[in-house]
Order: sequence, then C-alpha cells, then structure tokens
Amino acid sequence: MLINRRAFLERGIALGSLLALPRISWAQGDPGTKQPGARTLVMLHLNGGNDGLNTVIPHTDPWYRVLRPGLAIDDGRIRKIHERFGLHPALAGFEQLWKRDRLAIVNGVGYPNPNYSHFRATEIFYTAQPERSPESGWLGRAMDAKPSEKPLRAIALGKEKPLSLQCAAPGIVTLTEFKQFKLPEDMQATVEMYEASRDLAGERGAVARRALEAIDVARRIASLNPVRTSFYGALGRELGKVVALLRSDLDLEVIHLSFGGFDTHANQAASHNRLLAEVGNNLNAYQAMLDKAGIADRVTTCVFSEFGRRAGENLSGGTDHGSAYPLFLIGKGVLPGIHGAYPSLEDLENGNFKYTTDFRRVYATLLREVLASDPGAVLGAFEPMELMA
Amino acid sequence: MGTLLEGNAATGHLLRRAGFGLSPTDAETYRQLGFEGSVRRLLDELTEPAPPDPEGFDPYVPGTIQQVWLDRLLGGRAPLAEKLALFWHGHFATSDAKVQEPLLMWRQYGLFREQGARRFGELVERVSRDVAMIRWLDGNANRKGRPNENYGRELQELFTLGIGNYTETDIREVARAFTGWGSRHHDFVFTDAFHDHGSKTVHGQSGDWDGGDVVQIITGLSRCHEFIATKLLRFFSRPDPTTAEIAEIATVLAKTGGDIRSALFVLFRQPAFRDTSRERALVKSAVEYMVGALRTVGAEQTPLWVHGALERMGQILFRPPSVKGWTEGTGWLNSAAVVERFKAARRLGAAHADAGEWILDLAFDSRLPPTLSSMLESAQGAPRVTLALASPEYQLA
Repeated sequence: MLINRRAFLERGIALGSLLALPRISWAQGDPGTKQPGARTLVMLHLNGGNDGLNTVIPHTDPWYRVLRPGLAIDDGRIRKIHERFGLHPALAGFEQLWKRDRLAIVNGVGYPNPNYSHFRATEIFYTAQPERSPESGWLGRAMDAKPSEKPLRAIALGKEKPLSLQCAAPGIVTLTEFKQFKLPEDMQATVEMYEASRDLAGERGAVARRALEAIDVARRIASLNPVRTSFYGALGRELGKVVALLRSDLDLEVIHLSFGGFDTHANQAASHNRLLAEVGNNLNAYQAMLDKAGIADRVTTCVFSEFGRRAGENLSGGTDHGSAYPLFLIGKGVLPGIHGAYPSLEDLENGNFKYTTDFRRVYATLLREVLASDPGAVLGAFEPMELMA
Repeated sequence: MGTLLEGNAATGHLLRRAGFGLSPTDAETYRQLGFEGSVRRLLDELTEPAPPDPEGFDPYVPGTIQQVWLDRLLGGRAPLAEKLALFWHGHFATSDAKVQEPLLMWRQYGLFREQGARRFGELVERVSRDVAMIRWLDGNANRKGRPNENYGRELQELFTLGIGNYTETDIREVARAFTGWGSRHHDFVFTDAFHDHGSKTVHGQSGDWDGGDVVQIITGLSRCHEFIATKLLRFFSRPDPTTAEIAEIATVLAKTGGDIRSALFVLFRQPAFRDTSRERALVKSAVEYMVGALRTVGAEQTPLWVHGALERMGQILFRPPSVKGWTEGTGWLNSAAVVERFKAARRLGAAHADAGEWILDLAFDSRLPPTLSSMLESAQGAPRVTLALASPEYQLA
C-alpha cells in the first residue's frame, strides 16, 4: 500500500491522513489467508506504569517544560529521532533500533474511562475487556479461537500465569528457570509407566499421552541455556531466556514477561533513567541476537504498560498514575516510525492525557499480523492499524 | 451399564471423589463402614461445625490461610465438607490477588464450609453479601443510576445459570437489584441511598426487587438446578454426565429447595457413580493430587515445600486465575505441572519409604492396573512410593 512508509511517516505528514487511507476489510474479509508461519509474539509488560512523557518526548511542545518543571529532560540531552519527538537520553538502545528500522512507536495508547489502579488497569490490558470482570485473557481467547494439538503454545516467564494467557486451551506454562523442567535422572521408570499406558482407553490413556507430550516438551526446555552475554540486570536475565526459547524448536506462539519498578511516585529521575537504560540496552542486544540468528522475521516484541503517568509531575519529584502512553513494537516485521497521534499536552482530562489510540487496535494488529488470528473473534470490532510492514 | 465397584474398591473410589483418598490412619474405618456406611458418615459430617482456627492463627502472615486449609484437607476430618468447600471455592472463584485481604478470603472459605451443604439459594445470598466477593466483583461501585453489572453478570453466567440462560436485560435488572449492597472495612453494609427502588423485571418477574429477591427468583429456576447438578456431577462423578444423571440431581434440587446435601446423597448413590467404567475418570487437580499423595504416605502436616510445588503445578488456594476458576481435566497436566508432580512423588518417596508397605493397597485398593503391576510390585520402599504416586493411574481420581 505504501511504497516507502518510513519516509512517508518521517516527513511528518499529518498522522490523521494515515487513518484516511483505504483499509484492508478484515471484518468481512478473510483473516485466514495470512499464513501463521511459526511467528511468535513477545509481550513485555513494563510493570508499574511507565512515564510515557519522559520516554517519548514531544520536544518542540512548550507545554512539556510547563508540566515538568523539575523532571523535564534538558533539551540538549534528548535523543531527537524525529522532528517532533525524542527519546529519553537513557534510551540509546532504542535509538539504535530506530536507526536499524526495528522500532515502531505507537503514541497515545489507552482506552475510554481509564482506570488508575495497577491491578485493575493490568486486568484491562490483559483481558482487553474493560467493561467486564476478568475471565479470559486476550491472548488466551486467541488460543481458544485457534485450537491446536501442540502441547506447548505459550510460555509466561514468572511464577503465576498472567491473565492475558488465561483460557480453556491447554499448552500454556509458566517458567522461572529452564532447569525447573529437568526430570530427576532416576525417574526413567516413571516415564516407562506412561509409555506402557499410552494406548489405554478412556482417561487413563488420555492422561498418559498428555503427560508424555508434556515430558517431551519439558526435556526440550530443560536442555536450553539462557543467553547471558550482552545482557544485564533482571530484564537481561529474562531476555536471555526469551532468546534461548526463540532460537529453540519449541515453536511458541506467545512469550510473556514483565519487568517492574516503573511506579515512580517519588524521585523519579534517577530510577527512571536506570530502568529505561536497562530496557533500551537489553532490547537492542536482544533484537541484534534475533537478527543474527536469522529469526528476526518471525518475532515481534510489544512493550506495553498498564498505564502511563500523570502529565504534570508531583511535589515529590515523581509522577502519579496516569492514562495514555506510547507503546513500542520491535522487530524486523514492524512498520518503523511514529504511529498514532501524540495526546495534547494542553487539553488534559483530570490532569491526564486523552488517549488517541485504543490499545485494542494495536492488539487487533498483532492478532492479525503476528498470530494470524481473527481479531474480531477475540476483541470485537476494533480495526487493526498499519503497524506491520 | 457395566458392573459396579464393590468392597474396598468402591470405598476407595468414594473417598477419592468425596475426599482426598485414604490414609493409613483412616483406611480401616472407612473400609469397615463400606461404601454405603461411608456415604452416610461423610454426609452426616457435613452438618458438623468447622474446626476452630489453630492457636495463634494470623491470616495476614503470608501463606497462613493456605497452610491451615491444606492441613485440614490433609487431616481427614469431615473430608466431604472440605472437598465441597474446595468445590465452591472454584465455583465462586474469588482471588486474594484483587481482594488483598486474607482475613476476608478466610471468612469466605468459612462460609463455604458452613453453608456449602445446605440450600443453594441461601448460599448464593450469603455469597452476595460476602465482603471478599463484593470487593472481587465491584459491589461497591454498583449504585443507583450508575449500576456496575459485574456481579449481576457473573452471578448468572458462572454461578447460577450458565451462558445462554439469561438476557442482557436480566443482567441490567439484577445489577439494579444489587445496588447499595456494599462493604465498609470488613463488613457488609446496605446503603439505602445507593439502592434503586424502582421496579425491575428479572426472568419475567417484576417488582421492587432487592438482591435477596433476585437470588430467590434465579435459584428457583429449573435451569439453575440443571446448571448446579451438572457442575456437581462434573466435579464428583464424571467429566461428561448424561442428561438422565443431570435430570435426577436437578429434580432433587427442585424438590428440596436446592439442598446440596440431598443432591450429593443421590449423586453418590447413583449406579453411574460407582460403575467400573467411571473409575479413575477425573484428573486430579493440583491440590487434590498433592493432598492425596501426602495422605497416602501418611504425612501428618503439610511440608512447606508444598506451597511452591502447588504454585508450579498451577493451583494456589485463594488465588484462582480468574472468576472462571481453575482448569480441569488434562488441562492440569502441562509440562511444568507434570515435572512438578513427578518431583513431589520422588520427594515423598524419599521421606516416606515406609509407605512402600501400604501404598499399593491405599493408592490402588490393591487392584493394580495390569500395565503397571509388574513395575510397581518389583520396586520396594522409596522407589515404589515414588512410582505409585507418579503413575498415570494416580493422577486420576
């Protein structure tokens, strides 16, 4: 549709015109035509509510310094990747990704009547059903909508399965360490019992077959080693596992992970700097590894948060819970550039940014383009965006 | 219809379904009572009060409410009452992840324990006033003029009728009836100023209904009896109950005003319940597996490592993953969970090698599946205990 989309976007043509372009009629059309082709969606939750205004900075907007008298980044330190937008100085990694056409920034991501509780707002981003109590996750519903015989479809790093992957479909496991999947060596006789029961009728056979698949997957996971070089910190450790999983033959549809600490109510400057550096540097190294491994074309990474932060800073050198924020898509398949209108810094709602891009439109895009799933069945009527090349 | 389980096989089957299996200390008692006698005893115990909280009980110490409940499940007192409380916990699935008040979670468990075997309508009304539930499904946000439909929807979709058996109007009207039902601190409060006194029409009946009225209307519907009958059968009897089995239990509920104890009495005595084809037809949940294994080997307390193991197996008490409750069937057996079950079996084998003496009797009623008998019989001590607990047969109730 667009020959040189990056150039088109970078020239700063009003973003609204993008929305006026003819769209693929996914609603009547045929989401099944896109081949799944073993693509993986990696969802990284920046837990606590990332300060979007100091992450993607509208550096030409005079209101920026009005809202943030203490926390505004010095103009000379902003990484100006675009005539209107710059990155936080700690995001050298994202600047690298941007230069390599691996970064899509989606501004103003939110939803109507935003919730300011971490718990509830996380539920909303995980279920994509703000008006309902949580039953199933948006990715879980995508799994349910496309049943698969595969014993393993998604991995959530951490202890508890996130609500986003809650569903009826099996094949979703949580993982803290690869070695957690290692069966004690003296348990071969146990596995033999399952082999011997494989062909039994009824639940006995069903249990044996399911467990054997699970054991096989467990062996494959246990044989992996996390990548340690080039990564650092807690997020680096997790991404080292993600790279190992992506390079393996596990053929995962989704990997979920989360990185906390973004709830910066007080003395935000130093901690936010450290957090963004860890995000940017590690994700840049991660993407470089995927490129090097030749698997970049089948992995898309989405970096989101449960909310952004209040437009104005508070009296403690921090920011309180807010609403709309910039979300990032990283990968070889993304349409690099700036997407979605940046919310007005002047026209606020209870001191918060008004969202311009419903997060469910981003999800609809990921469902259609990455997971080859029908967004309508999972989300209802939310139109995918042009975020993927 | 095939043949019925008899003798120790029938008693063992009953205790796996209505409890958490047999332990070396209570196996003889139940076996002497036999199937019928055990059914009566389990049902009689349903009316006994729950044991008092242990000395120094502090629900705010992390892990305490889990530990105390697990110890009760393990202890084997009134096993059906505890199993039923676990059933209702999964049915009215409320999570401390949102409630953030373990005392309230513990009180909700107390409600299931106390009211779980009585009339279903009363249980639902009390659940509707339960502060953990009010927090979980946003009761305090449900006010006249701006109803929050969360509870009105889940009440009908998940707790009483099932999807397709109510309209969107029913949801709106039920939400209006519950306006003003909220909580302050740890107590239920009704705030008249928040309550919508207008007329509501719920399942065809109109009036100035409040929450209690709509619960009565809904729990009196035959679809509700069928829904609860089906859920009880799926939990206690078989994953795919027949329409005739459902109808029989639903009729009991209709005739007794929703008495759960009567429904269970009929359920356990249905020939289908103890048909040999239904033996080992239910995949044990993580808690059923873990508690059952501890009982089989004769453990007296829940070791601390069990909490982490249960988490990796996918079930933390008081923290169901969503209002839909936990998974079921082979959904329990993902890679992480299977490895964890095997490791637990090995750990229990090492700690309770003496259980090798009785494990084939208690775990399998001395009726070893032919595919496993030679392996299990040739092993001794710890390896035998591990093999028995890790066996495919033992994953099933």
